[in-house]
Amino acid sequence: MHNFYLRNKNRILAGIGLLIGLAIWEVIGRLGLSPAFPPVTDVLGAVVEVWTSSRFLDALKESMISVALALPPSIVFGVIVGVLMGRYRAVEWALDPLVNVFLSLPLVALIPVLFLIFGLGRGSILATIVIYTFFIVVVNTAVGVQTTDERVVEMARSFGANERQIVRRVVLPSALPLMFAGVRIAAGRAVRGVIIAEQVIGLIGLGGLVQRLGGAFAVENLYAVILFVGLLGLVTMESVAFAERRALPWVASPDDSGAALQGA
Amino acid sequence: MIEIKEIGRTFNTRDGGTFEALKDVTFSVKDKEFFSIIGPSGCGKTTLLKMAAGLTRPTTGSILIDGEAITGPGDDRAMVFQSFVLLPWADVLTNVGFGLEMRGMSRRESREAARPFLDRVGLTRFAEHYPHELSGGMQQRVGLARALAVAPDILLMDEPFGALDAQTRQLMQEDLMRLWDSEQKTVIFVTHSMDEAAYLSDRVLVMNTHPGTVREILDVPLPRPRDESVRRSSVFSELTSHMWHELRGMMGDPTAPAPE
Repeated sequence: MHNFYLRNKNRILAGIGLLIGLAIWEVIGRLGLSPAFPPVTDVLGAVVEVWTSSRFLDALKESMISVALALPPSIVFGVIVGVLMGRYRAVEWALDPLVNVFLSLPLVALIPVLFLIFGLGRGSILATIVIYTFFIVVVNTAVGVQTTDERVVEMARSFGANERQIVRRVVLPSALPLMFAGVRIAAGRAVRGVIIAEQVIGLIGLGGLVQRLGGAFAVENLYAVILFVGLLGLVTMESVAFAERRALPWVASPDDSGAALQGA
Repeated sequence: MIEIKEIGRTFNTRDGGTFEALKDVTFSVKDKEFFSIIGPSGCGKTTLLKMAAGLTRPTTGSILIDGEAITGPGDDRAMVFQSFVLLPWADVLTNVGFGLEMRGMSRRESREAARPFLDRVGLTRFAEHYPHELSGGMQQRVGLARALAVAPDILLMDEPFGALDAQTRQLMQEDLMRLWDSEQKTVIFVTHSMDEAAYLSDRVLVMNTHPGTVREILDVPLPRPRDESVRRSSVFSELTSHMWHELRGMMGDPTAPAPE
């Protein structure tokens, strides 16, 4: 028993912290202080109902389709542009200001512009996910490429490696940990991006559902959806981290501090 | 034969001046010779070795191998590095095969071809280990096997044992000695250990610093094959004390500014 506690100390303490938080929430809810805080037990009751409703499942499907359509190409092109920026000075000079602007902009402000370009449909949502994810992948990849150990590049050259071999066999593998960090952050941001874009449109997907539930002050149901979105983001990022550990056995353990830039 | 002809190398400094790292360096290394270059830090010995590897170009002069000027890295040469420079994401076998892979083999072929060389440096059991799981000495054995695997005529070794502890270093010297006895390759070996230079070499080039020039080239009249006992011979101690006498004169003030 004692050993079990020592081995799982962090998880047990996290669980206790969570329980205390929920207990406080429950008390506030029961006191009826604010309509924004319905009792946790009511929310949990709504969870079962909402998560199995066809309205929710359809919305979830919509959102997931958008993420599945936009995130993979965003990652692929982000990696390509990142490698070019990291490896070739001219490309870096040309693109660096642009990338930095997109990383520091409040992207929500750009969503109406995207609507003007892509209309009030999936196109705008896909575009939102792309601008939320593309640049973070670019920057992390570029930094990963730039921090390639020059001695390893020189070693490869001494064995007659050409540029293509150097990129494939030295630069890409050594940039991989930071690329993964970028993809992990991008996955979280994709979930955030799709919800925000759908919210602005207000009709489709989980974001649309959030918008409608909020408008109707269906607070319990709203919390049930938000809870799901939170869990979704967590699971997405954890799966990337899992893939990362499998793919990078020589890296001790990936953690967020390794990322070149988290982005806002 | 490797001919180093009137090599000079100048760098531009930040303040707009120039710094002469190497000046008028001329010597030649015979086939199958074990040739060491020794000199104080900053004398340009590593730069010289990188020029022979084709990784960097001299400002003036040229390097000829069997009469032909080198223009870049070539199949006839392989380098062993002070900091081992293994791929951390690849296992030992892939690392040993890396040179072969760069010369056109597939990963699978290069791994197969690498096995005998792994055997030769005594790391057969570690084929699937990653570099970070190995000691420094074992990592350098991987570095050596990688160089041997491409079957070079010329081994260029840049202070290969400089990052190892004294005991490992001595073991590695003995292993290299045995290996060289059986392989008969031309070796250019950069070091700043006088013992190492005397123990391993046929000839030792002692370099001046600021700028790097040839001070003298010493013959090592020790019979081969050599073993540990040569370290206690009078020839060995005379040779190393002579080198020390030559080198200490240059080590007076390491902060002295480079001549304009």
